[in-house]
Amino acid sequence: MSDWTPVATNLGGIVETPELASTPHRLDIDGKPYVPTGDGGVVLGVRLGDGVFATDADHAAPGACLVHREQPARHALTSYACLGNPVTVRTGAAAGEHGVVLGKRGELGRVIACFEPDVLERLAPDDAVVVRGYGQGARVPGQHAVEMCNIAPGALSLLPIETGGDRVGVSVRATIASRVIGNGVGRPVEQWDLDIQVDVETAAAVGLVDLVLGDLVAVDDLDVRHNAGYRSGYLTVGIIVHGGSPQPGHGPGLMPILCGPADAFDIRVDAAHQGLTEAALLGYRDQ
Amino acid sequence: MTTAMSLATNAQRLVRQPLRGEVWPPLADRHAYRVDADGTPFVLPGMGGVTLGVHPGDVATGYAADHLEPGLSVRHRSAGPNYALQFLSCVGNRVTVRSGPAAGATGRVVGQHAYVLADLAESDLEQVASGDTVDVLACGQGLRLEEHPTIVVKNTDPGLLAGLGVHTRDDGRLVVPVAARVPASAVGAGAGMVSEYANTDLMGAYAGQGDDLSLGLESLRIGDIVALEDQDHRYGRGWRPGWLTIGVISTGHCRLFGHGPGPSSLLSGPADAFHLIDEDEANVRIAFAAMDGAA
Repeated sequence: MSDWTPVATNLGGIVETPELASTPHRLDIDGKPYVPTGDGGVVLGVRLGDGVFATDADHAAPGACLVHREQPARHALTSYACLGNPVTVRTGAAAGEHGVVLGKRGELGRVIACFEPDVLERLAPDDAVVVRGYGQGARVPGQHAVEMCNIAPGALSLLPIETGGDRVGVSVRATIASRVIGNGVGRPVEQWDLDIQVDVETAAAVGLVDLVLGDLVAVDDLDVRHNAGYRSGYLTVGIIVHGGSPQPGHGPGLMPILCGPADAFDIRVDAAHQGLTEAALLGYRDQ
Repeated sequence: MTTAMSLATNAQRLVRQPLRGEVWPPLADRHAYRVDADGTPFVLPGMGGVTLGVHPGDVATGYAADHLEPGLSVRHRSAGPNYALQFLSCVGNRVTVRSGPAAGATGRVVGQHAYVLADLAESDLEQVASGDTVDVLACGQGLRLEEHPTIVVKNTDPGLLAGLGVHTRDDGRLVVPVAARVPASAVGAGAGMVSEYANTDLMGAYAGQGDDLSLGLESLRIGDIVALEDQDHRYGRGWRPGWLTIGVISTGHCRLFGHGPGPSSLLSGPADAFHLIDEDEANVRIAFAAMDGAA
């Protein structure tokens, strides 16, 4: 495949206002109703490095969710925003402040952006933001078998990923089977994350008991190049961008960033795994 | 009520409601193409409208089609009535065409797929077009199996289970004949959605594509009763080791990746509440014939 030069685009958006249906309850896996909290908008009290089951929330992300009022523009914002992209606040009490894109969520589409805690406290729904979208279409330096998505090329340096050898070396919290992936299968990963179908009680059985926001996880037999789906011998690496959910088929969110034949990777499951930290992300300045 | 096959239910307490819909046209967008697992673009029919030539008992895959919906694809044009139609229609419910040249023709609900999918005789299908009015006589949500409190029933006409040979065994487990057992690895789009709406797309059934995409499901037929392993569909659709869901294959061939022939959910509970029997003929085609004979 040819190496084309990625381009940057300035994308307008706003901080999301959370929404609920007229009947607020959702059902957990045993049919027990609950009122979801933290599902979009600005979420305070959740940070990169926190455990994915540390709060009693639903899909809570560490920061603010960014959207656009027009659905097609919202899909574009979600598609083109990549991990590491700079975010500038245009209006409101935090006008002029900066944040950095962590990831994205699916269905209608949301960009998840991290900010310093004092900035996040001042952000409010409807505040205007600009995301400098850059990264889709980029290639992993020096690698041909492994494809990359949803991350600015320079931001690979923030993660325990080595691209200098014959294979792409990645330290991960765990490698899981594709059957553990729920909502998000069959969807385009440029617009939609993949929920890992575990809760605080079932996470241990698949090696995710210590899973934290920002961790990297590998998924066997998953190909995300043209929608996410089962393909034996393929492997996908993603980063955890939001916390757990009581809903069946949902759970901590994995945003894919690398995909290729399993033998193009050197995956190391590491008890001391250190994924993306808040300091690394907020200190990053994309090109 | 206890049937001849010994299955006590609350069927006599359920009410019936006619729900109105119309045959919804196939939809495309300005850019036409989608891409398959290998990145190959395609423009293919299958979803929406009237899809001819495919009925319960016919093979589900191998067609030049995407999201193949056999027979009629029915919805209501307003959101609230449409949710009622989609949530309350059950597999096996009677469907009647109310307008157009086929007015008066009847068939049965095969499943849901964001449309209610209805099978009619091919000679009747030939006369139906998008926009024709269709009524579903909805009955079945709320059905309970009195001797199986851990199993949740949904999307199931009260007359369907007896026709499928579902009954209670001497040891108390629910006997279900199934045409195929489906590994959890096959579950694609639909995971995380409510189980009274649309269905669960199965991957690993991309007939004509690579072996690395196969989970051995290319021989599924429309209407087959299948067992989904490690799936809890009681209050949504999720992976849960030790649980089991019984479904009916209501849609066929897909090219879009992560999608595929899909079961509508019928029964879900702990795996040890079921006693599965592998039976090649476990298909709603048999049950529909039995229901028609009893009517």
